Amino acid sequence: MFIEYTYLVPLIPMLCFLIIGLLGRKTPQKGGYIAIAGALISFIIAALISYEYLTGDTYPNAVTASIEWFSIGDWTMHLGYYVDGLTCMMMLFSSFISTLIFVYSIGYMGEEGPRRTRYYAEVSLFLTGMLGLIVSSNFLELFIFWEVMGLCSYLLIGFWSFRHNDGDAASANAASAAKKAFLVTRLGDVCLMAGLFILLGEFHSLDYTTLFDTANIAAADPDMLTLGMLLVFGGVIGKSAQFPLHDWLPDAMAGPTTVSSLIHAATMVKAGVYLVARGYPLFVQNPEVMLFVGIIGGVTAIFAATMALNNMNIKKVLAFSTVSQLGYMILALGAGGYLVALGMDMGGAEGTALITAGVAGFTAGCFHMMNHAFFKALLFMCSGSVIHAVGTEDMREMGGLHKHMKITSITMLLGSLSIAGFPFFSGFWSKDLVLEIAMEAGHDGTVWFTVLWVLGVITAFMTAFYMFRMWFMTFMGEEGHASQHCHGESPKTMTVPLMILSVFAVASGFLILFGLDGVVSFNVTDAGFVVGGAEAGGVGHYFEHLFTNPYTYLTIVLALLGIGIAYLMYVKKSINPGKFNKDGQSWIYRLFANRWYFPELYNQISWKIGYGVARGVNYVDRQVIDGTVNGLSGAVVGGGDAVSKMQTGHVQDYSSVVLIGVAVLSVVLIAITVILGGM
Amino acid sequence: MDLTGIFGDYTAFAPIIILLIGALILPAVQFVGKRRTATWAVALVFAIVSLIVNAIMLTDGYTGEALGLYEYDAYSGLMILLFQIVLFLAVLVSNASTETTRLHVGAFYALMTGATVGMMFVAGSTDLLTIFVGVELTSISSYAMVTMKRKDPRAAEAGVKYVIIGGMSTALTIYGISMLYGLTGTTEIAAIAETTQLTGMNWMFAIAIVAMVAGYGFKIAAVPFHMWAPDVYEGAASPVSMFLATGSKKMGLSVFFQIFLVMFVAGTAVSQIAGEEVQYLFAIIAAFTMTVGNIVAIAQNNIKRMLAYSSIAQAGYILIVMAVMSEYALSAGLFHMFTHVFMKGGAFLIVGALICAGIGEKISDYKGLAKRAPFLAVAMMLFLFSLAGIPPLAGFTSKFFLFSSAIGGVDGVTSQWVWLAFIAILNSAISLYYYARVVKAMYIEKGASTEKIKVPKIFTIAIAICVIFVIVLGVYPQLIYDFCETAAGALLGM
Repeated sequence: MFIEYTYLVPLIPMLCFLIIGLLGRKTPQKGGYIAIAGALISFIIAALISYEYLTGDTYPNAVTASIEWFSIGDWTMHLGYYVDGLTCMMMLFSSFISTLIFVYSIGYMGEEGPRRTRYYAEVSLFLTGMLGLIVSSNFLELFIFWEVMGLCSYLLIGFWSFRHNDGDAASANAASAAKKAFLVTRLGDVCLMAGLFILLGEFHSLDYTTLFDTANIAAADPDMLTLGMLLVFGGVIGKSAQFPLHDWLPDAMAGPTTVSSLIHAATMVKAGVYLVARGYPLFVQNPEVMLFVGIIGGVTAIFAATMALNNMNIKKVLAFSTVSQLGYMILALGAGGYLVALGMDMGGAEGTALITAGVAGFTAGCFHMMNHAFFKALLFMCSGSVIHAVGTEDMREMGGLHKHMKITSITMLLGSLSIAGFPFFSGFWSKDLVLEIAMEAGHDGTVWFTVLWVLGVITAFMTAFYMFRMWFMTFMGEEGHASQHCHGESPKTMTVPLMILSVFAVASGFLILFGLDGVVSFNVTDAGFVVGGAEAGGVGHYFEHLFTNPYTYLTIVLALLGIGIAYLMYVKKSINPGKFNKDGQSWIYRLFANRWYFPELYNQISWKIGYGVARGVNYVDRQVIDGTVNGLSGAVVGGGDAVSKMQTGHVQDYSSVVLIGVAVLSVVLIAITVILGGM
Repeated sequence: MDLTGIFGDYTAFAPIIILLIGALILPAVQFVGKRRTATWAVALVFAIVSLIVNAIMLTDGYTGEALGLYEYDAYSGLMILLFQIVLFLAVLVSNASTETTRLHVGAFYALMTGATVGMMFVAGSTDLLTIFVGVELTSISSYAMVTMKRKDPRAAEAGVKYVIIGGMSTALTIYGISMLYGLTGTTEIAAIAETTQLTGMNWMFAIAIVAMVAGYGFKIAAVPFHMWAPDVYEGAASPVSMFLATGSKKMGLSVFFQIFLVMFVAGTAVSQIAGEEVQYLFAIIAAFTMTVGNIVAIAQNNIKRMLAYSSIAQAGYILIVMAVMSEYALSAGLFHMFTHVFMKGGAFLIVGALICAGIGEKISDYKGLAKRAPFLAVAMMLFLFSLAGIPPLAGFTSKFFLFSSAIGGVDGVTSQWVWLAFIAILNSAISLYYYARVVKAMYIEKGASTEKIKVPKIFTIAIAICVIFVIVLGVYPQLIYDFCETAAGALLGM
C-alpha cells in the first residue's frame, strides 16, 4: 500500500524545490524549513516503503512498476520505480542524512541572508536527483537523475563564488572548482551514456527487469556486453571520483561544508557505487571487468590516502579520505563480483562456494557505503562546526579546541574512530569485511587481489594515522592562532544533528548482525538474479571466523599503530614529523602535497592541448580562410576604392577555398570507394 | 476543417499562397501606412494565419499535389510547420529589436516572408529543379537581409561573404543537377532513385553527388564549407541570425533528406543500401562537422560566433541521419531539428534581447547576469544545457533518439555506425565546456554592475515560448515525435 507511492520519494523534494524557488523568499529561514520538511517526509515515506517491502510477500524479489513514457522505433521507455533491499537501504540513509544536513544548514548557513533561498532550492533539487536515481526502474531514468545531480553539484560548489569578504581568489577558486567538478564528472557521463547505448542496442530496452533477465543476458553478445559495462563503469569512475578522475572531489571543497557533506556522504559520489551495485547482474558476466573494477578501487584507496597524509586543510583531508573509502567500496564490489563471475563459469559445488563467497563482496561494498555515509556526514559536519567557530580551514591555525567545543570534539572523535576501523565502531565491521573479500578473491581467484589486499591493509593504517593527525591537530595540543578567537560551541541546530549522527556512526555496523546482510545481498538462484534475500549466507561465513582470523588482528593492530604514531607526533611531539620528510622538502612529501601533480596534468591536457587545438583551428578559420577578406568590410562601406581590391584577388581566394573543399570531398569519396572495394 | 472549399485545386499550396500574398503586399503596407508597428502586425498576422492553416492540414493528414510539381504530405507539412515557427519567432521580436527597427521594415518583413516561402516550396518539391528554385529564393532574400544593417561594417563583410559563397554553391549545385540530368534524363528525384537503386554508384554519378553535396553543404555549413556561417551570424541582426541558424539551415538539411535519402533508400525493401560509399562520405562529413564546430566554439569569446559554431556542430549531429539512412534515423533527425529551433532560436533571441538592453555580445559581458536579469539567465541556462544534451531537457531527448539511431539493433540497422554515435557523444561532452562558460559567467562570476536589466516584453514572450517547448519536448517528446515518425514514413514511403 505504500510501495505504490514510491514515486513520491523523489517527487516531494522536487515540489520543495519548486515551492522554495517560487515562494521561498517570503518564508522563515528563506525556505530552510520547507527543505527540511521535504527531506523528512521523504524519509518517512521511504521508511514505510521499506517496512512494507521487507515484511511483504515478494521479498526478496524486487517490486517494480512503471508507466510508458515514450516509444520510438521498436522500443519503449518507461518511468517507474524499482524497490529491493538495496533501494531501501539507499533511500533510507540518503533521506535521513539529508534531513540532518538541512537542519544543520539552518545554523551553518544562517549568515548567508537572502541567498539561502537559492541554497535550499538547490539542495532540494539535489536530493531529488539522488532519490530519483535510487528508485528509478531503468537506466535512462537513472541517467536523467544522475545528470540533474551533476548540474546541482555545479551550482552548489560554486555557491560561494559571490563571497566578497574572501577576496577574488576565493571566488575564482569556487568558480573553477565548480566547473572542474562538472566537466570531469561529465567525462564519466559520456562513457556512461555510450555504455547505455550499447546496452540499448543489445537488449532493445533499458528496463532493469529486461536487462537483469538471465535469458536476455545469455542472448546478448558477450563482447558488446563487456564493452558496455566497462563504459558504464567509466561513469562510475567520474561520479565516484575514482582514479584517474578523482581530482574534482578535493576541489569541490570550495563549496559550503554542508554541500560537501551532502556530496560526500548522502548523495552524488554514492551514486557511482550504487550504479555498480545496481548493475551487478550485468557486471558479473565477465571476471576481467570485475578485476578491472577491483584494481581501480584498490589503487584509488591507497592513492587518495597518501594525499591525505600531509594535507593541512581540514576539509581536504576529509575529501581525500572520501575518495579513499570509495575505493574500498569499489574494491569490495570488484572482488566479490570477480568471485561470482568465476563461480558462474565454473558451476557445480565449487562454483556455488565461490558465488557464496563473492556475494558477500556485494554486501560488504554496500555495507561500507552505508557506514561511510553516517561517519563521513558526521565528520564533515564536525569540520563545518569547527570552521564556523574559528573561521579558517587550516589545521595549523587550530589546536586545543577541545576545551572550547566539547560536543564537536567528542562527536568528531567518534567519527574518526569509526573511519579508522577501531574495533566495534561501524567502520571496523565493514572495512574488515572488505579486506576479507579481497583476501578471498586473491586466494581463490587471481593474485592481483592479494596485491590489492596488501594495498588495502596499508590504506587502513594510513587512514588511522591521517584521521587522528587531523583530530589531534585540531582539538589537542597548543592553541593555534585561530583557536584564540574561537566563538565557542556552535548553536543547537548544528550540534544536535552531530549527536544524532554520532550514534549512527558508532552503531550502524551492528546492523550487519541483525540481518542487513540478508537485505542488501545479491543472490544467484535458478530463477535468475535476485537482489536480496536470506539465502546469501556469505557474510555469516566471515563473521564466524572474525575473531579467530589473524588478519583481523593485523588490521586492528595497524589501526592502533596509526593512531599511536599520530599521538606521538602531534600531541606528545616526541617524534618530529619533519625528520621523515626533511621538513617538507623531500620529493615524496612534495609529491603528495601536490596531489601527485594531477591538477597540473589536468591543466596541461585541458588547457594546453584542448584549448590550444581550439585556438589553432579557430586561427585557420579566421585568419587563413577569412583573412583573405579582411578589410573587405571597410571596402564595401567605404565605397569603390577598395571594391577593386575584391576584384583583384579576394574572390579568387574565396573560390579556391570552395574548390579545395570540393577536392577534399572527392578525395574522401575515392578513398572510401577504394576501401570498400571499388564500384 | 475543409480547406479545399477555400483554396480549390491549390490547397496543397495554401500555406505558401498566404505567405506569398503577405510578402507581396508588405512593402505596400509600409509605404501606405508609414507605421512600422502596423507593418509588423500585418506580417505577424500573415505568419500566424499561414501557421494555423498548415497546422490544420497537417493534423488532418491532408495530402495532395498542385501543378504537378509540388506535393503536400506529412513530411512537407512538418517541415513547413518548422519554417513557420521560425518565421513566427523571428517576426515576433523584430519590431522590438533595436537592431531591426531602423531597417526598411516593409522590405525586411517581405524578404523574411519571401525567404520562408522559398523554404516551404523546397519542402514540398519532388524535383531537383523546383528544389533549386526554392533554395535560390531563400538564399537571395537572405543575402539582402544580412546586409540590411548597412552602417555596420561587420554586416557588410558578412553579406559580401555570404553572396560570394552562396554564388559558388549555387554554381556547384546546378552543375551537379545538370550532370544527373545527363545521366538519367530526368530531374525528378523518384525517377533518378529508380536508376540509382538499381545500379548503385559510378564515376560520373559520384562527381554529380560531390558537386551537390558541396553545393548544399554550404547551406548547412558542413565542414569544410562552414567558414561563412560565424561571420554571417555575427554580422547580421540577431533575429536574422536566428532565422538563418534555425530556418535556413534546416532547409539545407531537408534538401539533403529529400534528395539523397529518397535517391538511395526510399521505397526499397532491402536493407542493403546501393550507395554505401555515400553513406561513408556523409559519416565522415558528419564526424568532422560536429568535431570542428565544437572545438572551434571553445575558442570563441563572442557569443554569436559561439552559437554559430555550435549550430555547425548541431548540423553535424543531424547529418548522422545521412550516414545511417534509416526511417528511424530520419524521424529522430526531424525531431532534433524541431528541438534545435527552440533551443538555438531561444539562445539567439536572448542575445538579441540583451543587445536591445545595451549588453554586448562578449561572453564576459554576461557576467553577473543571474542577478540582473534572472529570467533571461535561467532561460539561457536551459537553452545551453539543452543544446549540450543535459536531461530532462528537449536537447537530451532528441540527441538520445538521434544517437541511438546509429547504434545497431534498433530498426534493423547494422552496428557499423556505432563509432559515429561515440564521436557524437564525445562531442556533446566537449560542447558542455563552452556552454558552461556562459553559465558560469551568468551565475558564478561577479558582474561589474548589479542594475536590473529591462528587455522588451515581446522578447520575453518569445523566449518564454521557447522555454516551454524546451521543457515540454524534453519530458513529453511524443508531442512532436509522432509527427516526425509519420513524416519520415511519408518521405521514405515505407
